[in-house]
Amino acid sequence: MSAASLLSRASRAEPIAGELEALANQVRRITARVHTRGRGRFSGVGAGVVWRKDGIVVTNAHVVPDARGHWPIVELADGRSFEARLAARDEDRDLALLVLERSEREHVPADIGDARRIRVGQLLVAVGHPFGIEGSLSIGIVHALRGADDAWLRADIRLAPGNSGGPLATLDGAVVGINSMVVRGLGVAIPAYVVEQFVRDALQTGSERPLSAP
Amino acid sequence: MSPSKQNGASTLTALSDDLADAVERAGRSVVAIHARPRIPASGVYWREGVIVATSHTIRRESDITITLPGGGTARAQLAGRDGGTDLAVLRLDSVPSDSTLALSDRADADSLRVGSLVLAVGRPGSDGVSASLGVVSTVGDKWRTWSGGEIDRFVRLDLAIYDGFSGGALVDADGRIAGVNCSALARGIPLTIPSVTVDRVVDALLTRGHVARAYLGVAMQPVRLTAAMAERLGLSDSSARGVLVVMVEGDSPAERSGLLIGDVIIAVDGDAVSEPQDVADHLGGERVGAKLALDIVRGGEKRTLAVTVGERQPPRESQGEHGSATGGPSERKGRKR
Repeated sequence: MSAASLLSRASRAEPIAGELEALANQVRRITARVHTRGRGRFSGVGAGVVWRKDGIVVTNAHVVPDARGHWPIVELADGRSFEARLAARDEDRDLALLVLERSEREHVPADIGDARRIRVGQLLVAVGHPFGIEGSLSIGIVHALRGADDAWLRADIRLAPGNSGGPLATLDGAVVGINSMVVRGLGVAIPAYVVEQFVRDALQTGSERPLSAP
Repeated sequence: MSPSKQNGASTLTALSDDLADAVERAGRSVVAIHARPRIPASGVYWREGVIVATSHTIRRESDITITLPGGGTARAQLAGRDGGTDLAVLRLDSVPSDSTLALSDRADADSLRVGSLVLAVGRPGSDGVSASLGVVSTVGDKWRTWSGGEIDRFVRLDLAIYDGFSGGALVDADGRIAGVNCSALARGIPLTIPSVTVDRVVDALLTRGHVARAYLGVAMQPVRLTAAMAERLGLSDSSARGVLVVMVEGDSPAERSGLLIGDVIIAVDGDAVSEPQDVADHLGGERVGAKLALDIVRGGEKRTLAVTVGERQPPRESQGEHGSATGGPSERKGRKR
């Protein structure tokens, strides 16, 4: 059935809304709220993605300042709040790796998608806390795919401060990117494969010496 | 990653696949045009060997490089441009053997309704096709741009026209091309120039190198007739309006017809007029050479003048390959995408 006829029928609107709601809830479960505490100052609120079940959360480097006396605080979707250790921070890739302290239970990690297999025009969703509004859903499409060596994923989607560090996901809830910035109206995300490499590098290095002493 | 891992063949997933298919299909007709500094603009392969673009993005008139959907390049020359509709037509030096370039199915303007899901598909460089998603936000009647172009439908879009998207295709959810997108016709508001208008302008530009502009050579302003005068002229109250002629251009159709400053035009071909636009509505490009009957009031008396619609000569730089190759200051440069 063609898309035009799908949409021209009012009876289709309800399943679409239902599917979006389920998808929003699915992605919210792996979306964290990240802010920093320290010296009486609070920075802005960003988002993060639970990347591994052992309490590894990924966010943007610009969400967590690398400054002495600042502690990242990570709130998970289930309401639990953790102090986190800034285990690695890479300003070039705008990525930071947070390790949740004292988290005994396993966490529900994100389903990681393959950002190399998305198509221009394909629907995507983002979840974050734009302007502090928690768990907001945005919908859009893949805007462009550049060459294989390009480190960014471009989406035609409405993002705002507070989406930083949050997930950009396909319709099956698989995270294909970490939202990083808005450039001339375009949502720009770090592809999941870049994040995976960053996490692998950080954990490898981190086992010998921490990249950044919190 | 399987697209149906959790939702099965859900409505949304089916829609997403359709949108990606639509971009892929229409993208075979969307090319990048390198005819200005910095960001290239988009163009649509409209007919065999012919590419349509927006005029404001074409700053060079010959030896224009085109990036084809497959990544290859071709050369093209400007065949003509029309500042009124902001359309330009390029001719490929040779039809490329690149099989990635294809003509696309068209959607006619009537299929666009307010709320229709649409994609803007552009190619603002050599890196592949780009898209944005939105809806049609307004569908109106025929309108005239500030620079005098006639566009058959006013189709406003609620979607992003990113840098380099002007000249790209408006694509419906079935992958059919419904128009050429432009952000330069209405203060940056995203609009589409419907296919029917593009076809008409392409025909005119390919055959004559320019689009005929009908004109009379008058400046007018709305005016209300007094009740006494309306009664004396036998007009009903609703038609007790007209347009006052405030300027008559020398050697123009208006002057040759005997129209004078101070005449009040109350009807054109029997249709009452109360605004200058009402007169302009009788001046489509196809009316060049036609005779119009102007009902006017002069010195309190009604009379009828016959005027032969003239053709406004296009400015030299708008003639493309038939005119000056150096261009000129006519196009609104650098402001729009």
